[in-house]
Parts: sequence; C-alpha cells; structure tokens
Amino acid sequence: MYAQAFFVAVFGLAAIGFGVVVFRTSSMMRSALALLFSMTAVGCLFLAMQTEFLGVLQIMMMATEMSIMAIFMVMFMMDPGGLGGMDMSHQKRFSIGAGVSAAVVAIAVALLSDWGPAAEQVVDAQAQTRALGMELLGRSMMIFETAGITILTAMIAATAVSIPVKKLASKDGKEASE
Amino acid sequence: MTMILILALVTGAILFGIGVYGALSQTNLVMIMMGVELMLAGAMVNLVAFWRFLHPEAYSGQMFVLVVMTVMALEMAVGFGVAIARFRAKGSVEMEEAEDLKG
Repeated sequence: MYAQAFFVAVFGLAAIGFGVVVFRTSSMMRSALALLFSMTAVGCLFLAMQTEFLGVLQIMMMATEMSIMAIFMVMFMMDPGGLGGMDMSHQKRFSIGAGVSAAVVAIAVALLSDWGPAAEQVVDAQAQTRALGMELLGRSMMIFETAGITILTAMIAATAVSIPVKKLASKDGKEASE
Repeated sequence: MTMILILALVTGAILFGIGVYGALSQTNLVMIMMGVELMLAGAMVNLVAFWRFLHPEAYSGQMFVLVVMTVMALEMAVGFGVAIARFRAKGSVEMEEAEDLKG
C-alpha cells in the first residue's frame, strides 16, 4: 500500500510538473516534449494504480500523438525554437483565475466528499484485460462501435478540411475556386 | 487506500486546472489543443482512480477511459485539419487573428 501511494505521488507530481513546463517554456519543441513526458507520467500513474492495459495504451498512444504534435509545432509556429522569446499568451490574469478556481473546486470536492471504503485488491492484469474485452464486446458494444464510427468520420473530416482548395479554370477563361 | 484515491483525484484536479489555464491563455491553436489534452488527461486520472478504488468490479469505468482516449485522438486529428486549412488560408494559426466570423 505504501509503495503504491509513493508511486502514485511521484508520477502525479511528475505529470503536474511537466504539465506546468508545457506553458512556461518559449520553445515549442520543449512544450511538446514536456506534454509527452506529462502524458507518459499519467500512463505510469495508471500502472501504479494497477490498470496495466490502460497504462500501456496511454503511453503508446501519447508517444505517437505527441511526436506528431511536435512536428506540427515546428511547422506552424512563428518561433518554434523560442529564441526570440516571444510571449504567445493573452488574458493571463483571467486564465490563471479560471485555472486555479477549477482546480480548487475539484480538490474541494475530492477532499470533502465521503467516498466510502476503498477497494483493497483488484484482479490481475490478464483477468482485467479479459473482463474489459468482454465489457467492450458485450454490454458496451454499442458505445464502442459508435466510437469507431466517430473516429472514421473524424478521419474523413480532417482529411477533407486539410485538402488544398484547387483553382479551376472556367469555360470563359476566368479562374474559379472549387 | 482512500488516501491514494484522494491523491489521484487531487492530481487529476491540478492537471485539469493547468489545462484550463493553457486553453484560455494561449494564442496559438496548437497550444490551445495542448491545454485541452491536459484537461482530458486530468479527467482520465479521475476515471481510473474511481474505477480502481471505488468500483473495481464495474469495467464500464475502464471503457469510459477508452472513450476519453478516443476523444483525445479525435480532437488532435480535427484540430490539425483545421490548423492546416487555416495556415493555408491565412498563413498563421494565431487565434487572435481568427475574427472572420465576428459580425
């Protein structure tokens, strides 16, 4: 129990620390890497809470996702290296107030609620994965299938949005956009 | 065990707060998406903690985490699609310049 509490605290602090670094650094590459480390720490937090399948899935998904994000950061940012020291933020005071308020309210709910007795043990990783598979292909199959269709729709929508608009020559020689 | 649950919930709450700050304070679309990712990560930490410490027999808790992970991937895909379209049209993904729909 103490080992679990220790690892939950360590990975939780790592996730929060790297999360803060995301918005503190001027370098966009460092921001993307900090977010990758924060998400990996969240995955390790899942492992510390004995949710092995979701922990490994989180680490694998976020490693890929954040690598792609880092490439986009370099492509789209005006100052990806952060050498110019540009400030790319606005309404700071309001944002800090909103962030702190949201965190304080959620922490207050966590501390003041009566959660009842907590479970001491969970089944091992193999049994968990099997039970999750049975859940996904049984009672929650409709939700799972809907998520699949939504992913497909988003893929098509994202591709359609990002295809460049071509200029077509009309019959009278003038260009018209498609 | 309740102490570990509260530890995880506090971690999730702080991650959510950092995400709210990032989503509201950043001017760049990609950075705003990073804020939203952190908010969703905070929600996932809470969901896993609730499953592990309160209802380890109900696997719909883990299923919800999978749905949130799907939402994260979708947000990235559609967000980058919009970013590419915006960059092609205006040459920038700065959201302070995105006032096209203002009346």
